[in-house]
Amino acid sequence: MGRAFRVILTCARNSLVRELMFRTNFIIVTAASLLWVCANIAFYLLVFQYTPSIGAGTGWGRSQFFVFFATGLIINSIVHSVFMPNADLFSERVRTGVLDFLLVKPLDCQVLVSFERLDLSTGGNLVVGVALLIFSLIELGWVPGVIPIALYVIYVVCGVAILYSLMFSLAATTVWLGRNQTLYDFWFYLTIFGRYPMEIYRGPLGLPLRIVFTFVIPVLIVVNVPARLLIRPLYPQTLPEWGLPLFALAATAGSLWCCRRIFQAAIESYRSASS
Amino acid sequence: MIVLETKGLTKHYRVYQKQEGLWASLRGLMRREYRTIEAVRGIDLQVERGEFVAFLGPNGAGKTTTLKLLSGIITPTAGTARVLGHIPWKRENAYRRRFALVMGQKHQLWWDLPAADSFRLHQQIYGIERRQFEQTRDELTTILGVRHLLDRPVRELSLGERMKLELVAALLHRPEVLFLDEPTIGLDVVAQYSIQQFLKQYQQKYHTTILLTSHYMKDVAALCRRVIVIVAGQVVYDGSLSGIMHRFSRDKIVTVVLSDGRPAGELARFGEVVSTEWPRVKIRVPRPQVTEAIAGILHSHAVQDLSVEDPPLEEVIVEVFSHAELSPRQSSTGAGVAKGRENSP
Amino acid sequence: MKKTSRVAYNLWRRVQSWLTIFELSVQERLVYRGEFFLGALMRFLPIVTQILLWAAIFEAVGGVTQARIVGYSYRQMVAYYLLTMISRAFSSMPSLASGIARDIRDGNVKKFLVQPVDLLGFLLLHRVAHKVVYYVMALGPFFVIFYLCRGFFEGWPDGSVISAYILSLLLAFLLGFYLEATIGLVGFWFLEVSSLVFVFMLLNFFFSGHMFPLDMLPEPFRSLVALLPFQYLAYYPSAIFLGKVPAETVWLGVGVQGLWTLAAFVTARVVLYLGVRRYSGFGG
Repeated sequence: MGRAFRVILTCARNSLVRELMFRTNFIIVTAASLLWVCANIAFYLLVFQYTPSIGAGTGWGRSQFFVFFATGLIINSIVHSVFMPNADLFSERVRTGVLDFLLVKPLDCQVLVSFERLDLSTGGNLVVGVALLIFSLIELGWVPGVIPIALYVIYVVCGVAILYSLMFSLAATTVWLGRNQTLYDFWFYLTIFGRYPMEIYRGPLGLPLRIVFTFVIPVLIVVNVPARLLIRPLYPQTLPEWGLPLFALAATAGSLWCCRRIFQAAIESYRSASS
Repeated sequence: MIVLETKGLTKHYRVYQKQEGLWASLRGLMRREYRTIEAVRGIDLQVERGEFVAFLGPNGAGKTTTLKLLSGIITPTAGTARVLGHIPWKRENAYRRRFALVMGQKHQLWWDLPAADSFRLHQQIYGIERRQFEQTRDELTTILGVRHLLDRPVRELSLGERMKLELVAALLHRPEVLFLDEPTIGLDVVAQYSIQQFLKQYQQKYHTTILLTSHYMKDVAALCRRVIVIVAGQVVYDGSLSGIMHRFSRDKIVTVVLSDGRPAGELARFGEVVSTEWPRVKIRVPRPQVTEAIAGILHSHAVQDLSVEDPPLEEVIVEVFSHAELSPRQSSTGAGVAKGRENSP
Repeated sequence: MKKTSRVAYNLWRRVQSWLTIFELSVQERLVYRGEFFLGALMRFLPIVTQILLWAAIFEAVGGVTQARIVGYSYRQMVAYYLLTMISRAFSSMPSLASGIARDIRDGNVKKFLVQPVDLLGFLLLHRVAHKVVYYVMALGPFFVIFYLCRGFFEGWPDGSVISAYILSLLLAFLLGFYLEATIGLVGFWFLEVSSLVFVFMLLNFFFSGHMFPLDMLPEPFRSLVALLPFQYLAYYPSAIFLGKVPAETVWLGVGVQGLWTLAAFVTARVVLYLGVRRYSGFGG
């Protein structure tokens, strides 16, 4: 375990050294992804020009929604800087057959594959996310206690783990599908369901989606659970309200387990393309 | 001590058969045709500790697939293998710590970083003790003459320099078994030679068991006493390099330097005239008739000098390949490539 | 006589080579079947969240049946997003700019300078082939979705509007193509254009009306955006269809769109010409 940790640290160090070599690129990508976030914030500001809240009586007013949005930003920027470059590299290696070298290393292949690269250019989003979170909480006049903050951090980690599992399960399919350009599409289209408060999933169209994206592919709980635990209107007070947070823990464990199985199956079917 | 043993090692692949033409592609959307490629078809091997073995064979014969099976990258369809007492495709850390793989066509060093950084990562992945790591690194980079390149980004190096550093990376943990898949491919003669010399020295010093595939006969002739010829996924020859000559070369090359003006054309009756650089003439003579031919030539021509040699190694090997390619395919129906059709899921 | 027949022959040869390019491009798309179906189907997923999101928003404003936001009813809002998907299916050019830039960087572009094949013409055909295959494949899913969502539409507009709409869509395709191609061709000067591509994508996303109906923008932004070409990539065709553009200015707008397209075409040509001159000046 200690060895794996040291290997991850060295990988992170190497990635940083590498990133510093391409400083201009780093700055450009950081700026671009910040612009992207700004565009999204502008869109929601625009929407809240016309409506007091998302859904009637749901408690998702402008500031509450921005807490939600900021949480999504934090989770996604972590996933994008730590795991996205690795998922990408993994697909690429499967395609070119360079995965061979990772398979012969005396360390768990999934660990190596998951943590080898680190791309800090979306780290700017993390800063914006935290700033937006604090700003929105101040606007709400709500100072969370130690326990909500601790729970928030735990569930952010759970959210990251769920998205990680989804991402690597998708990346692993490269082994069977050959080329995998749709990896990002798939990723985008699935995670899009986690971008909104779960209250919008109502009616004959919304309810089945809510069930699927909570219980089958749990992207809906990734942002919803931590965001809910942090802001007052949705703070769980009765025992049944703890159902969702408890389920989120189970879903995290389940996602990681599934991802592990898919990854191992993929490695078994890996063919090692000759360049 | 036997380090490596396989029995009936077999690997089949199923690949999507791309169709030619637009309509066939459209049809391919509905129903895909697959082809089974029998890359390796029942290979039996035994390798002793400290042997340096070469795999020879035409492209696609299954050499690389065999190395991949032995390093546990892929799982066989049938058959067994044990390397250092481990089943490779179980991928136990205990096994993976004890061997290394170098591929001439694939690189593992971080492209944008100096090799030193990749080496450090290797040190941690393999858990190499620091003093040993530094000692091995310095020793190997010194022998290969690449010590001064450790701090230069790998992308700035030449292919030969990169390959040398790849070799060092693979040897840092002092593997007991080393798999080399075309380590000198695409290199210039100088780099090829220095890598050969390095491997030779290294093997003599550490008695590492090495399995090598290469297209360059020079590599093989310089390094390996034992040669395994694989054609169409099967072993067709296993023995010494010189044995190949005895077994497969049916001819000898007789070179005569003539001292009289009689036309060389007449020499054609002793065998096929390969080249004529007056007064030097080369004739290919079937092995059993060599004595007879020499006598005949000496009788009919004034000869200044005469020598008898084996034909060039490359030539014999080509003959072995083409020869062997015919025989097993004829014996097995389905011609080594079985066709199958399947409806897609 | 002889001359005309040679011209005809050359033309025929050219058409043949176009057909071959087209056919090969189609095949290339078809090989990756699994991806294709998934890709075509998944494109419809975001619309579902849009429907639900806007339902929630309209509900908070005063109910999905009565409320209006900048003149859009809930049904019109959803219809707008559905129509935008069609516009985008015409105007979006995945990996066109980055592909051109990569070809320039890797030197693949040389073959276009050597062979009698026009780079932009080739890419346009390639793109048309990809689009055609996409439309054929996506026709089923599109039909199903629009049938299911027919309740969001208030019937067909009249013939004149429809023809303006179709023309606007075709122009959106050409405009999108030449805009992105120009960005890719900037690769003759800068090795890395991915950031430029990203900025373009962002502007496109925000100002084309892909994200929301541009009518939602407050002044002066609304008027400023009207001066940019981006709105013709998504907003304008959809607005025509929904009757958001006054009948008397519909054709005027399409004319302006045509001018933008022409401008983008000329720009792409000029940039290509200058780029090639610069490239060959360096001796490849």
